[in-house]
Amino acid sequence: MNKVILWSVPLLLLSSVSIQGVSEALPDKQAELFTSPKKPTDSYLPVRSLASIPKGEFGDKVRMGYQLFVNTQQLRGQYVGNELNCSNCHMDAGRKANASPLWAAYLAYPAYRKKNDKVNSYQERLQGCFTYSMNGQAPDNDSPELIALSAYSYWLAMGGLMDQYQVAGEVPELSDKALVLGGKRDDFSLPEAIASAMTMDERAKLAGRGFPAIPKPELAYSPERGAEVYKAHCQACHGDNGQGLAIAGIYSLPPLWGPDSFNWGAGMHRVNTAANFIYENMPFGKSITLTNQQAWDVAAYVTSKERPQDPRLTNKGVADLAKQYHQHQGYYGKAVDNGPMLGSKAYPVNPDK
Amino acid sequence: MRVFACLISLCLLAQPAFSEPLPMPASAQLCVGCHGPTGGGIEPVGPRIAGLSAEYIAQQIALFQQGKRQNPIMAPMAMTLQGDKITQVSEYFASQALPEIKLHIRGDTVSFNEPASTLVYQGDWGRLIPACVTCHGSSTLGGGQFPRLAGQQASYIKTQLLAWQTGTRKGDVDGMMASIANKLTAAEIDALASYLAAIK
Repeated sequence: MNKVILWSVPLLLLSSVSIQGVSEALPDKQAELFTSPKKPTDSYLPVRSLASIPKGEFGDKVRMGYQLFVNTQQLRGQYVGNELNCSNCHMDAGRKANASPLWAAYLAYPAYRKKNDKVNSYQERLQGCFTYSMNGQAPDNDSPELIALSAYSYWLAMGGLMDQYQVAGEVPELSDKALVLGGKRDDFSLPEAIASAMTMDERAKLAGRGFPAIPKPELAYSPERGAEVYKAHCQACHGDNGQGLAIAGIYSLPPLWGPDSFNWGAGMHRVNTAANFIYENMPFGKSITLTNQQAWDVAAYVTSKERPQDPRLTNKGVADLAKQYHQHQGYYGKAVDNGPMLGSKAYPVNPDK
Repeated sequence: MRVFACLISLCLLAQPAFSEPLPMPASAQLCVGCHGPTGGGIEPVGPRIAGLSAEYIAQQIALFQQGKRQNPIMAPMAMTLQGDKITQVSEYFASQALPEIKLHIRGDTVSFNEPASTLVYQGDWGRLIPACVTCHGSSTLGGGQFPRLAGQQASYIKTQLLAWQTGTRKGDVDGMMASIANKLTAAEIDALASYLAAIK
């Protein structure tokens, strides 16, 4: 039986963070996804130009999804509690292969999660992004924001499949109810040429999804060595204290830790996820520049810094939460370099700006 | 300790100039012949340096001194500046006001109808070219070590992109800017130079 269901608001308020409006358990919606190494033979789904988004009501939802994705800060104070935008990690506005592209994610949901014994829809996964990666408050089911983000993802996925299998025409419109479910379902309607070319499971595991898994490091990853890598390769853009860079008050180079970054529940706080991301996608616009060992070390450095609290924290404390949700490669609940236990001085969840 | 002092001075340099323009230090006398009395630039002899961050200006002086930026006129000029003078000159030009521009925030426009603005706001990731605004800021306003491109002379932007390509301009971490410049075609460089110069 999942104990987290017993949490309640008063208990949460006793803890060091205050969370408004959380009345039930926050499931592990950012559970680790299956990742696989890159293969030289991989070819990726083509992406349609944004200019080809159709006119009309459906196209407007797709456009709104794109706009929310690249300027997620328009939701600051409403659903977003840090200085990030979705496009900080999902390069090229969620279109770039090996940077967790939306077209691959859309076709991987709904997905069964062993952890909460539940089938999560695409919009529930998006809610997880707001709760953890954006350190905010997830929009309600079927809200215009989740419909728009789903519409943009669907349009990218279906447009890519149609172009790959030479199906002419506009992407077929879907109802809002259908859009938010995701594309991995038996009743997901597909042109025959696509349906016969790939099974549903194959579509859910497209090459380029997620961040490709890199081999384990030769030496155990080390934040101490990572600090040197950070200074040499990352600090110029992300700042000497991981604070990112704001120009005219707008962050385009994202904070990596501290109060304005993703929280302890976000997938990126895992050393392996961060290492995979960094190796493939950093330095910006260059890709694969660091060695495998450097990627692991710098990932360890970045993820061993304090950040906003894991919103699942109860009055049982950090160590308890670490036992329940952090049995993986990460620093929550651990002390680094004789410092305090990470999580014990975490920044607030969804703070006011 | 020295590292700490360096960090502090970097922080101070990075402060944007909101206050009144500073009076011209004697050490800046040499600069104004080509860059203009307040650094507004004299095309084609000297680019606009007014309103660039002091951090960026100081960094460029150092790069000229080290030969990582090669320019027959700027190399000896930069050598005349040592010690405190670098900071004085950098802060003087950084304090000069620039015209305000209406910021274009990412996502304001979903699709652009010509290549230069697409590169500026969205990049071309098929060639691993990120959007210029990611590092140079909204509307390429610039900040920290990233120079403002908006309203800079077109001829200067062009010569710099070409210098990144030929390697006569260096000093970027991991060759990030060089890698981008090297992917640009001659036509794209011309188009970008005029587009950025026209952001007013």
